Amino acid sequence: MSAGAATVPRWSTRSTRVVRALGAASVLSVAATVWLGLWVTPPDQTQGNLVRLVYVHPPIAWVALYLAFGIAAVSSALWLWPRTRSRFWDRLAAASVEVGTVFTALTLVTGSIWGRPTWGVWWAWDARLTSTALLLVLLLGYLAVRRIPADADARARRCAVVALVSAVDVPIVHFSVNWWHTLHQQAVITPDLSPTIHGAMAWTLLLGFVAFTLAFAWMLVVRYRVEVLAEHLEDNELDVALRERRSEGPRAAEPLPTGAGAGHDTTPLVTTPTP
Amino acid sequence: MRYIDAGYAVALSVLTGYAALLWRRWRRLERVAAPPQKPPAR
Repeated sequence: MSAGAATVPRWSTRSTRVVRALGAASVLSVAATVWLGLWVTPPDQTQGNLVRLVYVHPPIAWVALYLAFGIAAVSSALWLWPRTRSRFWDRLAAASVEVGTVFTALTLVTGSIWGRPTWGVWWAWDARLTSTALLLVLLLGYLAVRRIPADADARARRCAVVALVSAVDVPIVHFSVNWWHTLHQQAVITPDLSPTIHGAMAWTLLLGFVAFTLAFAWMLVVRYRVEVLAEHLEDNELDVALRERRSEGPRAAEPLPTGAGAGHDTTPLVTTPTP
Repeated sequence: MRYIDAGYAVALSVLTGYAALLWRRWRRLERVAAPPQKPPAR
């Protein structure tokens, strides 16, 4: 379990030009989306100015549902598959789920803000909304399972199973507008990539998809690095604790007493080493 | 317009806040994980 400083590749913890470029590109593209969405594009014939929320809500939902959850599910499957098992997949899944949770919560909030003036209610127990809310609960469940103290492999296995079970909800969210009569509108971009909106609106929406995808990619890389560094420090702390324990001498290596009186053992677990 | 402003404000502030939080966590862990620097020789 020990991982020294040399075992952490430099690229996985340090800032690189690619990451900085990714960050700059995501800031610029999100700013361009906001500018086009709020000031350049015309109001919609039926929705009026409310259509401007469509430039942020579907791109955020795309990142949450398909990108973040897709990466988490594929990474978890690759971790569970013995031939491809690697800590990289477990860390990537964890990073993707955490960032995806933020995007899923934002999907619900921005959708609710759009729904209030459009439908007249902040929330409806609609199939699309309910299945997305369920997805958020499942993502929070994954993060809770991840915090249960356990051996790294046991934790990775539990989390991978939770991610794969939760992934069942993604197609339900996607097809909910087709399977049930819902308040939520049908897709505006069909599988043959022909949008039913046109001109500046379609290009702004497309830019929104690119912008939030870039923002997600930057967050994923940084969150992955946080995971690597946190594990590295945890392993180092464990190494230091084990070294201290061993330096206490053979008495420390004896098994802990069991049976009657075991609870009255007053031997300190950590002693100050003598010079 | 207030719904549109609210939607954009919530989305941008949450994403910016989360990005800043991630960045701070990363920089702090990077500092802690870095090997101690040797003092300059006199």
